[in-house]
Amino acid sequence: MNIYKKWFWPLVMPSLILFAMVILYPFIMGVVNSFLAWRGTYYFDPDTGTRASSIVNSFVGFDNYKEAFKDTRFISALIYTVKYTLIAVVMVNVAALALALMVTKIARASGIFRTVFFLPNMLGGLALGFIWQFIFQIIFTDILFSPEALHIPFLRYMTQDSTKALFALALLNTWQYAGYMMIIYVAGLNNISKDYYEAASIDGAPYWYTFRKITVPMLMPSFTIVFFMTLANSFKLLDQNVALTDGEFGTRMLAMQILRTIKDTSPPNYGKAQAQAVIFLILIAVITLTQVSITKKKELEM
Amino acid sequence: MNNPTLVTSSKMNGNYFLKKRIKNILLYIVLICIALYTLSPLWLLLVNSFKDQSQIITSPLGLPSSFTMDYILNAINEIHFFKALGITTAITALSVLVIVVVSSLAAWMMVRNKTKSSHIVFMCFVAAMLIPFQAVMYPLIQFFDDLHLKSASGLILMYGGFGLSMSVFLYHGFVKGVPLGVEEAATIDGCNIFQMYIHVVMPLLKSITVTVVVLNSMWIWNDYLLPFLVIGNSNTKTLVLELYFARITAGQFGNPWQLIFPSVLISIIPIIIVYLFLQKFIVKGISDGAIKS
Repeated sequence: MNIYKKWFWPLVMPSLILFAMVILYPFIMGVVNSFLAWRGTYYFDPDTGTRASSIVNSFVGFDNYKEAFKDTRFISALIYTVKYTLIAVVMVNVAALALALMVTKIARASGIFRTVFFLPNMLGGLALGFIWQFIFQIIFTDILFSPEALHIPFLRYMTQDSTKALFALALLNTWQYAGYMMIIYVAGLNNISKDYYEAASIDGAPYWYTFRKITVPMLMPSFTIVFFMTLANSFKLLDQNVALTDGEFGTRMLAMQILRTIKDTSPPNYGKAQAQAVIFLILIAVITLTQVSITKKKELEM
Repeated sequence: MNNPTLVTSSKMNGNYFLKKRIKNILLYIVLICIALYTLSPLWLLLVNSFKDQSQIITSPLGLPSSFTMDYILNAINEIHFFKALGITTAITALSVLVIVVVSSLAAWMMVRNKTKSSHIVFMCFVAAMLIPFQAVMYPLIQFFDDLHLKSASGLILMYGGFGLSMSVFLYHGFVKGVPLGVEEAATIDGCNIFQMYIHVVMPLLKSITVTVVVLNSMWIWNDYLLPFLVIGNSNTKTLVLELYFARITAGQFGNPWQLIFPSVLISIIPIIIVYLFLQKFIVKGISDGAIKS
């Protein structure tokens, strides 16, 4: 119809302008800046040792990238992020799936449980991080797991050790996100026709067998979404990292590393921070696209 | 009446139902335990918002020995609660409004024009969902600073841009299922494009709009990083920023829990109230959004 053709550009334009201002232009500049000796407010000329007269003189090739990979803080943040992501994805998914299976099994009060489990998602990571910092530092350390009580040394002083903090962060995020992912699994479970389960129960199939042969294959689309969301969220985690340990004791993750790189040196090395951000982008794209293509393939196979 | 098969089968039935009942009770017990675990941090938050520092440390689990609003009132002052609440509400509401209007218009036009350029624009939006915030944040802040938009109003534009991709995607999927017939009838009745958008298209998009509003307001309200970079420690701080800076300035001398607990409490009360009233829409919005993407 003609009216749509006539109005296409005028009505799409606002979105394009916003997109160009907020994402496209900063994105292009970000990639460009990762090859320059960018200091934030000005460009540095490494040949003359002063401000560059034009952007071209500030070109340093892959130096920012080389510097990033030589920086032990960046490498350890990368390793820490990967470790955390592996732990968190498993924990959040197991918890969310277990919750979803339980709340769809019961006849009464299912809605109340869903409301409670989802509640932590409404709250900000920073606020929750502060509360959990108290839980780990006081409740866990001095009360629950102190030598006078349950005495589990691993669960004491969790925010003051890099390995323990990994699990502290994962515990906090499982508590926060399991309810959200549960909602997605519940939607998936409700889409599975009851006929399959009836047929299986007439055949006398045990629960575990039904779970493996009916529930898991039929839930594949939900797995794709939940894995994608937990992978991306864990890899990009920032707020909880800031609130819980603030990167102390070697607990800096990549998002915080990019944010703090400019404070690590004076003058601030924005070029290097930007190179790390580009590496970050590539890692996220590769990881999430690989995951989606693998689980999509599984969806078809099943 | 000595039919052996009948006896065994009824016995089996009785056993079966008893087993099922026990299983059911166990399930409820497990769920109640998990629910208590989920709520326990909030319980801690609540009881410790009415205690002084030493009581918080010595008896963090129990009720306060005497009831006082002092710490709450102190926190309201300290984090400029009402001002910050107003700012956060305004920023969230305006950003979501921008996102809803701009992305629904764009998605509607993209679906109704099946041209190559329409497809390319859509693919750009979809591809942009992969770009993490960190990849664009420094040039973005620099650019908005150059435009003299490093302010609360600039923040609204930025949220508009960041919320766009996912929202266009969600609307796009939904508009595809809206039949053209209604819109054709509206044009024949003499509606212009804007009347059509307001009176015909938007009412049909109500349910997906709920999803878009829920998903975007949740992250904008709670966002820490973008306001931190754009507004920072100025006098138009959002609630999250107030909380962050209260923690930083007071935290130089250990952890001032008697300030942190009541501050966190008052900052999350508005969201909890909204959640309790709108939880049906919120949960539905989340699960619809997940299915569509």
